[in-house]
Amino acid sequence: MIELAYPLALLSLMAIPLLIAFHLLRPRRRRIVLSTTTLWQAALKDREPRVGLRTLLRNLSLLLLLASALALALALAGPQWLTRASEGADTVLVLDVSASMKTRSGIGKTRFDLALGEAAEIVDGLPRQGRMLVMTSGRKALLRTGFEADRDALRRALAQLRPGDEAGRPREALALALSLLRGREEGRIYFLTDGAFDPDVDPGSPQVVFRVMGGPARNVAITRFDFRQELASEDRFQVLMTVRNYTDAPVVVPASVSLDDRVLFRRSLALAARAEETLVLPFTGRARGQAVGRIDVDDDLAADNQAFAAVNTDDPLRVLIFTRGNFYLESVFQAMPNLDLVKRDWSPAEDIARLALSYDVVVFDGIAAPQLPPGNFLLVNTVAPGLPFSDSGRFVRPSTLVRGPSALMGDADLAAVRIDQARRVIIDKPVPGLQRLFWSKETDLALALLDDGRKLVYLGFDLARSNFPLQAAFPLFLSRSLEWLRPRGDGFVSTHVEAGSTETIVLPAGETRATVRMPSGKSETLASDGGSLLFDATADAGIYEYAVGEVARYFAVSLADARESDVNNRWAPAERREEIRPMGSAAQALVPLWPQLLVLVLILLALEWFVWTGSRGNA
Amino acid sequence: MAMNPLTAHAGHGDLVFDDAFLRKLEQLELLARKIFRGLLRGEHTTSRRGRGLEFSDFRHYRPGDDFRHIDWNIYSRLDQLFLKLHASEDDVTLHLILDASASMGFGEPSKFDHARRLAAALAYIALHHLDRVGVSTFSEGLGAGLPPIKTRHHMARLLTFLGELPCAGMTRFDSALRAFATRTRNPGLVILISDLLGAGNSQDGIEALRYGGHDVVVIQLLAESEIDPPLDGALCIVDAETGDQLEVTVDEDLRRLYQHRLERHLQDVERFCRQRSVEYLRASTAIPFEDVVLKYLRQGVHLR
Repeated sequence: MIELAYPLALLSLMAIPLLIAFHLLRPRRRRIVLSTTTLWQAALKDREPRVGLRTLLRNLSLLLLLASALALALALAGPQWLTRASEGADTVLVLDVSASMKTRSGIGKTRFDLALGEAAEIVDGLPRQGRMLVMTSGRKALLRTGFEADRDALRRALAQLRPGDEAGRPREALALALSLLRGREEGRIYFLTDGAFDPDVDPGSPQVVFRVMGGPARNVAITRFDFRQELASEDRFQVLMTVRNYTDAPVVVPASVSLDDRVLFRRSLALAARAEETLVLPFTGRARGQAVGRIDVDDDLAADNQAFAAVNTDDPLRVLIFTRGNFYLESVFQAMPNLDLVKRDWSPAEDIARLALSYDVVVFDGIAAPQLPPGNFLLVNTVAPGLPFSDSGRFVRPSTLVRGPSALMGDADLAAVRIDQARRVIIDKPVPGLQRLFWSKETDLALALLDDGRKLVYLGFDLARSNFPLQAAFPLFLSRSLEWLRPRGDGFVSTHVEAGSTETIVLPAGETRATVRMPSGKSETLASDGGSLLFDATADAGIYEYAVGEVARYFAVSLADARESDVNNRWAPAERREEIRPMGSAAQALVPLWPQLLVLVLILLALEWFVWTGSRGNA
Repeated sequence: MAMNPLTAHAGHGDLVFDDAFLRKLEQLELLARKIFRGLLRGEHTTSRRGRGLEFSDFRHYRPGDDFRHIDWNIYSRLDQLFLKLHASEDDVTLHLILDASASMGFGEPSKFDHARRLAAALAYIALHHLDRVGVSTFSEGLGAGLPPIKTRHHMARLLTFLGELPCAGMTRFDSALRAFATRTRNPGLVILISDLLGAGNSQDGIEALRYGGHDVVVIQLLAESEIDPPLDGALCIVDAETGDQLEVTVDEDLRRLYQHRLERHLQDVERFCRQRSVEYLRASTAIPFEDVVLKYLRQGVHLR
């Protein structure tokens, strides 16, 4: 059944009479009287013996013109062929690109190489009308192509794939693949994997066809690697490293840990069959830099024979406080480690935007705040214009304080807090980013707000006229508020992430971009309007360096996944019929016909030109 | 001084020749390769013995012979009676056959004008040598004709006839020339002046003339624009005789094919004539008429 998307376009058929008129009104030939036409007829016969064809061609030219005009009008009308969708023609090819696919399988080949060969065969065997979508299954499921009928495009997409150092999560990939074929019951999903995952991955769908690559393999792996600082000690650290033997025979594995090319430890580990050993290695001294743990073993998977960690220099938190003097606030800020405090009593309102970018947190203490730009703010006993809450006066001695469920409050004890005078605020309009921290029955006393680029904590009373600064809850409240306003991701703890996961790069105040250099040597520059950046190209294990301003920082990416390293824990799919039965009612699809009609128009016009030039030569 | 009929003839200026040209024509003589028996005395030797001045032969006297022809010198020496024979000199009839079909009106000047001037000149030569001259025309069939005339006094009549000839109709060579051969009682020298373009087989017509006992000369006249047609582009060409129309787009390639076809046609006619001892002359209207008569016709065997 054919439907027309734009039936009004058929009005263009009215041009056909014009076409005929133009054809009839073509220029007349010059009339010449000759003594005889016999010789000219003979000459024409010499050129084109088929005189009948000439007459036919003369009319054929008009017929072809009319046919092309008709086809063009139909193409403009957008005809669509309502047909049963050929679900069987759609295929999803899922390639496992997890680290275990790097396992050697035969001479000079990996399981991924075998998978690529299998994928190429599947592409070659696609039905003529078939379409295929290629996706990869690593830590994340990624679509590499759309549903594509072009075999060359599919082969090009396959050629660009390579396995990473990440642990696989095939369940998510298969769920995504099944969702892509929803409503196309005849569609098929080929999952090319080494089977190094848990049996419950199989969704049990008859559409999924598993192709398991490779054979048994031998592997010893580092499954954990990290640095940590000893409690109550500033210069004593520990290295944690777990090595596991996945073979069925005992092995002796030389292991080492180095920090910025300085070897911290060398050990020789004797591991029983399928056993593991965890090393906790203390050391004293500087612990910042790039750390690498290695085991020297010739096994089939090299990706897990080394692990990485990085410890960055900590940045101070830059706080600007506008105050006429507040002993309590300043004392707490100065007591906080690694915090630079700058004190001012006034600044022009137009400078606030610049200052908000230059400082991690801006505090207004009892001073009228201007309209707040994007940034992080702590308002103490003052309210800024343009906020969803406004000042409506004061009242004395609010009744019992009630603590809200916010994480900023945690388990802070407010029972003993007494307030002599507080501001009364009215929430003008409830917004999703506004949360109440604590309040009395008369008014809200502390609020937190997160809206367009602004983070704000409001404390609605004068600290000097309450005993809140004398309570344990006060420094806790300030510390958590500052941590919420400005998360400090780069603490002492070593920064390392699992391969394939997303790393959050926290930008210091005033910085908006960072350039990340990957272990492969490639660089990528990321930009943000402030705050933090998300970086997810972490498929390869190693040290990632990113420059923020003039300071180089690092984060480490490691496989360090005991399940992924277990390359022999191979799941074999149950026997499954290759033939997929049609299930349920088939979907219907509207196949557009205009491309074919357009091609027909071009062919007809080419033919018409050919006929016209032919008849011109013959006549 | 007697006025020359060709120079004095008025009303047909295209047929008027100057005196110098006429003097040159008078020095020419038409020759027939065949020996024809003339009707009247003329300048062409015939197979008949007669009263001519030229000695021919001797033969024994037979009773009844004219005593005046006995050679008495031989009788005195041999004592036998011999008759002295002289060749008879008769006239020859020149049949001028003009193609008067519409195709002859083509060209600048027209082929028909060229043909009429040629016919007038040849008639003058013949009459100057006491031969008889008849003119016939043809198109679809045998057309108007002028009975043979003998003397130059009839030249004006001939010119009038030629000057008033129309040029129209289709060409049917075979039927027209066959009719001519059938109707003509005294064979002679036939000079066919035509473009030999048109319907009907011209070769059959020429063959019919030969069977009629004529000594045939074919002069094929072509216009220069027929030999190298100055045509180009999309045309509707009309046949001057049949009125048939043909749509053509003339380009270099088609012109080359046309000329190839024309060349083949001319060669066929020439080959046919040569095989049958028919003198053939091809002339273009671009060649001055005087040159055709004084140069090219003299290269043949029938004019010297």
